[in-house]
Amino acid sequence: MKTLYILYDAQCGFCSHCRRWLEQQPGFLDLRFLPRDSPEIECRFPGFVRSQYPEELVVISDEGGIYWGAHAWVMVLYALVEYREWAVRLARPALLPLARKVCELISKKRRDLSSLLGMENDATLAAEIRRNHEC
Amino acid sequence: MVTPTVWMYIAYLIISVGLTIWVARTLHANGRIFLVDSFLGNEKLADSVNHLLVVGFYLINIGYVTLALKYGGKSEDLQQVFETLSSKVGFVLLVLGVMHFMNLLIFSKMRKRAMLRNQPPPLPPQAHLAVKTA
Repeated sequence: MKTLYILYDAQCGFCSHCRRWLEQQPGFLDLRFLPRDSPEIECRFPGFVRSQYPEELVVISDEGGIYWGAHAWVMVLYALVEYREWAVRLARPALLPLARKVCELISKKRRDLSSLLGMENDATLAAEIRRNHEC
Repeated sequence: MVTPTVWMYIAYLIISVGLTIWVARTLHANGRIFLVDSFLGNEKLADSVNHLLVVGFYLINIGYVTLALKYGGKSEDLQQVFETLSSKVGFVLLVLGVMHFMNLLIFSKMRKRAMLRNQPPPLPPQAHLAVKTA
């Protein structure tokens, strides 16, 4: 395993903030971010049916493994040099249910969390840049 | 004239440098296996790092021993010679102990990092996909 493709919700400020943070972290694996409505997803993963998976976060490895929910979060942490230890810890049966609950909570509340913390999402930023460029 | 203090200095240097060499050799001999494991069996790299660590160990310890030589007061008779010598060697032993544990900490950190690097994914995939390689 060398690369993880991270399908995230570019409409969500919190998710976009996480993407920017993840990009700055030293990683054992290469992380590639794809907004979940990006046409590149069909091109790269022909058999992938979006509607079958949750919309907030799906991780696909270069070996074709698909992860979602808490498992996807654990895999993202596994890719990072500083947090791999935490990924191993969270993947243990004792902590995984807790991780799952936290992920579900954050995923459900991600839009509220974004507006509460005033986090700009990638989709809005991209639209803004496009608009300024046109002017 | 060789005063008791000078005798004490000579004994101090012999004991301290001897102890430093003994601890450094122990580290060098027993730390190697840790390092070979940390560097995924790359013995050349492990030997190189091992040697560099021992050089650093010698520099710090002998540096401390020479710097601390004159501290501790004058020794007029045999009793004072032993007291001063004992406290000076005691400090050297403490410094050696701290340095030794620092080295162990470095070894174990390197090993942990190497083990994490080779750690397989902690969770199996929840589904599989045919992937078009770029």
